[in-house]
Formats: sequence, structure tokens, C-alpha cells
Amino acid sequence: MALFVIKRVALLGLMLIGLILIMFTISHVAPGDPAGVAAGPDATAEMIEVIRKEYGLDKPLPMQFWIYLGDVFQGDLGRSIRTTHDVTDDLLRYFPATFELVGVAMLIAIFFGVPLGMLAAVFRDKGADHAIRFVSVSSVALPMFWLGLLLQLFVSLKLGWLPLGGQIGLMTERPEPITHLLLVDSLLRGQFETFREAFAHVILPAIALSAPALAAIIRVNRAEMIEVLHQDFIVTARAHGISSFRIVAIYALRNAMIPTLAMIGLRFGWMLGGTVLVEGVFDWPGVGLYAVQSAVNSDFQPVMGATLLIGFSFMLANFAIDIAYGWLDPRLREAG
Amino acid sequence: MTIRICHFPRLVTALVFAGLLVGTLVVGSAQAFERAGEKFILVFGGRQPVPLLDPSQKYDWSTRMMQQAMYDALVKYENDPPVIKPWLAESWDVSDDAKVWTFHLAKNAKFHNGDPVNAEAVRFSFERTLKINKGPAWMLSDFLKPEGVKVVDEHTVRFELSEPFAPFLSFLPWWYVMNPAQVMAHQEGDDMGQKWMTDNEAGSGPFKIKRWEQGVLYELEAVPDYWKGWPQKKPLAGVIYKLIREAASQKAALQKGEADIVEGLSPEDFDIVAKLPGIKVENHAGMTTFGIKFNVSQPPMDDINLRKAVAHAFDYEAFLKIYNGNAKLQTSPFPFATQGHIDVPNFPRRDMAKAKAYLAKSKYPNGGIELEYVYVQGLEEERKMGLVLIDNLKPLNIGIKMVPLTWPNMKARGSKMETSPNMLAIFATPVATDPDAVAFQYHKDSWGKYYGTHYYSNEEVWGLIEKARKSSSWDERAPIYAEIQKKITDDQPEIFGMLANRRWAMRDYVKGFKFSPVRFTGEVDLYSLEIGK
Repeated sequence: MALFVIKRVALLGLMLIGLILIMFTISHVAPGDPAGVAAGPDATAEMIEVIRKEYGLDKPLPMQFWIYLGDVFQGDLGRSIRTTHDVTDDLLRYFPATFELVGVAMLIAIFFGVPLGMLAAVFRDKGADHAIRFVSVSSVALPMFWLGLLLQLFVSLKLGWLPLGGQIGLMTERPEPITHLLLVDSLLRGQFETFREAFAHVILPAIALSAPALAAIIRVNRAEMIEVLHQDFIVTARAHGISSFRIVAIYALRNAMIPTLAMIGLRFGWMLGGTVLVEGVFDWPGVGLYAVQSAVNSDFQPVMGATLLIGFSFMLANFAIDIAYGWLDPRLREAG
Repeated sequence: MTIRICHFPRLVTALVFAGLLVGTLVVGSAQAFERAGEKFILVFGGRQPVPLLDPSQKYDWSTRMMQQAMYDALVKYENDPPVIKPWLAESWDVSDDAKVWTFHLAKNAKFHNGDPVNAEAVRFSFERTLKINKGPAWMLSDFLKPEGVKVVDEHTVRFELSEPFAPFLSFLPWWYVMNPAQVMAHQEGDDMGQKWMTDNEAGSGPFKIKRWEQGVLYELEAVPDYWKGWPQKKPLAGVIYKLIREAASQKAALQKGEADIVEGLSPEDFDIVAKLPGIKVENHAGMTTFGIKFNVSQPPMDDINLRKAVAHAFDYEAFLKIYNGNAKLQTSPFPFATQGHIDVPNFPRRDMAKAKAYLAKSKYPNGGIELEYVYVQGLEEERKMGLVLIDNLKPLNIGIKMVPLTWPNMKARGSKMETSPNMLAIFATPVATDPDAVAFQYHKDSWGKYYGTHYYSNEEVWGLIEKARKSSSWDERAPIYAEIQKKITDDQPEIFGMLANRRWAMRDYVKGFKFSPVRFTGEVDLYSLEIGK
């Protein structure tokens, strides 16, 4: 098992270097002149050269890559040419917001997706099933940003129930950071009013973000439940006179949840990478928005930093799954 | 197998109940506007961040709006048409050859930390911007060397230019004065405080920094005893510039009162919100010209007859339609607010007979060519203009290939003579009201810049531009600029388009809005604003 883990770690390292290489190449062969954009529309050639030198863009590409690689392994992701901020600092500031949004969205998707999938399976081909199918198909069909705009217009503007955007009210002081997650920190600091406000802000973006995952969870859970409900042990359980609710909600669900859980893990990664549209609509100060804002300004260090962060999260998740599979299935360990 | 389960409604009820619980927990009433004690805080909902506050490093509309709020310059642009008003400088003198400029400073001006704004601070600020060589440095770097700025006495500063430069004064409103003590106290290595000045200020302006949450919001706090005083009875307590990146969200925020002013809505949206109760729209002619630049250095656009054919086939009225009437057609290469603007006689307008006649004289008498039209990806107005081109040039048997690019990529293409496309959609905003700021866009030294993607070449015009900037007498300069406008028009390096109005939508309680066309699109002078409730 130890050898298996070592091999996987080595593979993780190689993949990371591969990711950096691909990212670096794409961002440096793309047209557009970062120094020129940063210098401003009227800048002279000499002014652009000042910036190019300052950011090492005047060096040959292989050397730039080598320097970048060295810096990355020391935790230095470079400096944004647009804001002059350290990318590492920026990501530390933006990532918790994205993580929080994705976390809440995932909770919503699971909280509603699992029971709805279960209901759809139980009432298969009945009215409830059709209604739930309508919900799940619409959730996956509606573009997230559009759903976000609709929610804003209806829930926030028309009904006035929830704020339009942002992570917290304009005048509200943020709690002293502990975990950097606003919801968690405000609770830990006992600032319940701040928590209430932060929670109100996260609901609409989280609903918009959760829609595709919600649909997927409903559909997968429904399919799995239907299969499980046809298995012999369910019949046996019924023969034993166990209540139907108990059979479905406890025994069948537990079996149906395994593939659902695997999918939830994957979805989590996808959501991390896909928050940008929702972040844009709701002005959620997260990593996705940061990366896109940087990309349109040809500011590549933040783009590479954000890609690396999200890519690395994916890799870690896969690594964990690999290890878990290896632990579950000895044949995989031997195969290496 | 079918399972009938009577418990399931319980599950549904639980879900609904949970939803309601969450609802009651979070639903709160929306606040109208923010307050600080008895005074109001104005919320500006803008789409563009302020990535870098340092006046020596950067300017664009959002950045400059913040810089103008926190810093003062020797002089300031105000009003429409714009005039240059004394600010840190109470008065100035210029030598006849426009080489030596002497400024007499206000004696009561002080920085936010209490230090006096003196001649040394002015000298330091100019030296810093010139040495760092970023941001506004290009405006003066050809004429002013750091050693050319001299402290005469505590309140007098003299600029000795290396060459005569009549437009000098017109650039000074964008050269802000910083407190040397604060800046140099935060120097890292030899960066002249660049890192610190990114998110901090060392100014003397009407506002100072309160919160700077990059990518989220920037909060300014009014300086109650601002040395220049306040024009309104009840000045604001502060301003929050909140980033709202989607136009739909900006509109919603304005309607809900979560933002007091927004910019950057589409022409249609401005028209819609203008009709809503409690909202008004400020609508003013700006100085930003829109033109479709031809690359005159390469075939086929090096053919002046082809250029004139295209320019006469284009339906200029379409501009007005695209902007729902909120635009004005150019009558000269110069914007209306530029000093010395004339209505050029026979300025090109749609005339198919003329277009066909020019085409017949060109190397492509039967058309049969395809021209590339490059525009900013996602900019709907520019896309529509491309469609107009397609439609208008069909009778000439000229095809249009529409190519949307991101701004950096577009700029990169335009930066070389060989790669600059046949036609490039360009909005250009001159930074000063002096005609040199526009005329120089047609000088060889502007080649490769976004407004110089035409690679226009006419040595006679270049000579006139150089001659005009060397005289301090307006009477001498004015006829030269009239000549320049006529000659550029005649060479048709672009389809001279229009000036779209600048618009802001705001709550009707926002008072004291003062427009000046020389500010950038979106930029507002926060100093005079108040909330009149």
C-alpha cells in the first residue's frame, strides 16, 4: 500500500508540472501583450518596456517558465501586472468566498436532490415523477447566469426578500478572520446578525449555482433507487413487515447513495471551476470572477494561479479517490 | 413493483417547512441609502475595478475618478465646455515661447495628514511620475525632464521644458500631487513607494480612503475641513464605489436603491430606466469619437479612392439609430469640445453616386474584395455597425468579414502595420481639450497605438502638428488646426463616425452632478455631489 501511495504522489507531482507547462504555454503564446495592456492605451514603447522588464517578460520564454516553476514550488504565484498584487495573496482572499458559495450550493443540491430523486423513484411514472422530472430538466437546461438574473429580478427586486448581490451588506464590518469563511467566522465570533446577513446574501447565488448539480443528483438518485427497489432484499424486508418508509428512506437509499456520492464529489470540482458566471451576476468576490477579470485584461499570472488552484483541487480529489479505491480493491494496488 | 407509502407527504412537508424557516431567517428589509450619522453616503455602482490607485502608475475612468476624489492637481477641468480652473495653483505665467511655466500655489492647501502642499511636493510628484515612467508619464515626458521642475520658493514652482509645448497646461489636471513624506516613508527597495501607493493614498483631495476591498468595493470618506472648502451646503459623508459587473444587476440595484448612480447600461436600458419613477438619467455629449480606422499602409486600403468610396457608402444615420438618437455625428476629425474645432466643409456623408464614382476611380472598380472589420468582442454597438457596413457595401460588391476580438488581442493586432486589419472599430477619448491631443493621433509618433492603427502618413500634416504645438499664441495656432482638420478629412484615414452621449442613471435625490466632457466615459466628479433628501 505504501508503494502504491508513493507512486500516486509521484504521479501527482508530474501531473502538476504538466498542468503548469500547458497553462504557461497557452497563456504565453496567446496573442495580446500583457505589458502593453497594463501600460495603458497611450503608453510609449519605452513605458511598455519598463513594465516588461519589471515583470521579467523581456526574458526568453523557457527561462520565464523555469523561473515561474521555481517560484510556484516556493508558494509564489507571481504578481498581477494589472493590480501589482501578489497572486497568492489574492487567491487566499478570493478562494474562501468561492469555497463557501460552492459549499452552500452543494448542500442545497443534496438537501433537495436526494429526497426528490427518491420521491421520483417511488412514484415512478406518476404525477410526482413527472413534476420532479420537469424540475430537474429545467434546472439543467436553464443557463446558470440567466437563472441568477431571474432570481435577482423576482426574489430580490420584486419581492424584496433577499439582497441583489455581494457577499455581505455594504456597511457591515467583516468578522476578524479565523477560517476566512464568512459564514463560519461570523458564527465563531458570535456575530449572529452578520451571519444572518451573509446567509441572506449567499442564498440566491447558491441556488443558481446548485441547479445543474441538483438535476444530476435527482436523476442519478432516481435511477439508482429504481434499481435498488427491485432487488431481492427489499422484497425480503417487506416480507418482514418493515414499514415502507423505512425500507425506502433507510435501506434502499443507503445502497443507492454510493454512485450518487461519487457524483457529488465530481460535481464539487466542476462547481469550483464553474462559479464564474454566477459570481459575475451576483458580484460574488470569488476566484472565478477574479480569473475572468484577469483574463480579459491579458493579466496572465492571476489566470495561471487560479487555474493551478482549481486544477490542483481536482487532482487532490482524484488522488483521494485513487487512494480510496486502492484501499477498497487490493487488485488496483498490485497493478500500481 | 409499486410501493405505496403514506409517509411521503411528511417528507415533502418537511422540505417546504425547511424552506420557509430559512426564508424567515434571512428576509430583511432593503435599505434605501447608506447613512453616517446625519450625513449620507453615496453608492456608485460601477462595472470597472480600480486595480491600481497610484496616480503615477495608472489612469482609466474608474481609477481617475478615485484619484480625482483623493488628490488635487495644480489645475482642474470643470464645466461643459471644459475650462481649466486654478486649483492647487492660484495663478500661473507662461513665457512667449511656451517653454517656461511658473505656478503660484495656494497657501492654505494641506495633505490629509496635515502636511502643507508646497512647491517641493509638486516637484517631487512630477519627478516621481516621470521617473517611474508609467501612467500619465507619456503626456509630458518628451518635453519635461525631472530636473526641469524647479522650486522657486515655498509656494512657487517653475517648469522649464526642453522644447516649447503649448498644450502643457491642458495635461496638468491629470498630474496629481502626492505627499513626499508619506510616499517615501513606504519606499521598498527603490520603488518610490509604488507598492504602497497601489492601495493607499497620500493626497490632499476632498476625500480620503476608508476601505479598499479590491474586487468588491472602495469606500471614501469626506475630509470635512477640505482646504478648498465644499461647494454644497450638506456635503456627503463619503462615497462607496461598489463593483456591479452585470448591466442587469446594475439596473436592478438602482431600482432597489442599493446603488445611487450607475454607469455603463446599454442604450436601451438607459431609455427604460429613465422612465421609471425616482430615477433620472444624465445625458451629455462627450469627447469620445467613434471611428472605423482604415489601415492605409497596406493594400487595399492604401487606395484613397477605395477609402472614399467606403466612407461615402456608409450610412451615418445608422449611428444615431444604434444609440437611439443619443449621439451626434462628427463634423470634423476633432470632437466638438476640442478647442479650435471647425465644421469641415463637405464632410463625408452617405452618397451612393459619389461612392460609386470613387470606386470606379480606384484599383478595384468592380469591387470584388473582402475587407476585414475587427471590433471588440461583446460590444453590441460595434457589432451592429459591422452589420451596417455589410449592408452598405453590398451595392459596391465589397464584402465584409466581421472579426470580434478581445480588446488586448485587438490592440495587439493593431500595433503593427502589417497586421493591423483593414478596418478597426475604435472609440478614442482625448485626454485634454487642447487640439494637439487629437491632432497628434494622426502623427507618425502615434502609429501602433490604438488610435494610430490607421498608419496615416502625410508629412505636411505632421509638420503642421509639430508647428502648432510650439506656439503659445492661440491666434497663431487656431488657423493651423483648422487646416489640419481639413487635410485629415481629405485623406480619409477612417470613417469619421460619431460621438455617443455619456450617460449615467441615478436616483432623483442625487444632486450636484457636474458634467465635463473631458472626463472619461463613466467618470464622475464626486466632489460636487450631494444627496438632497
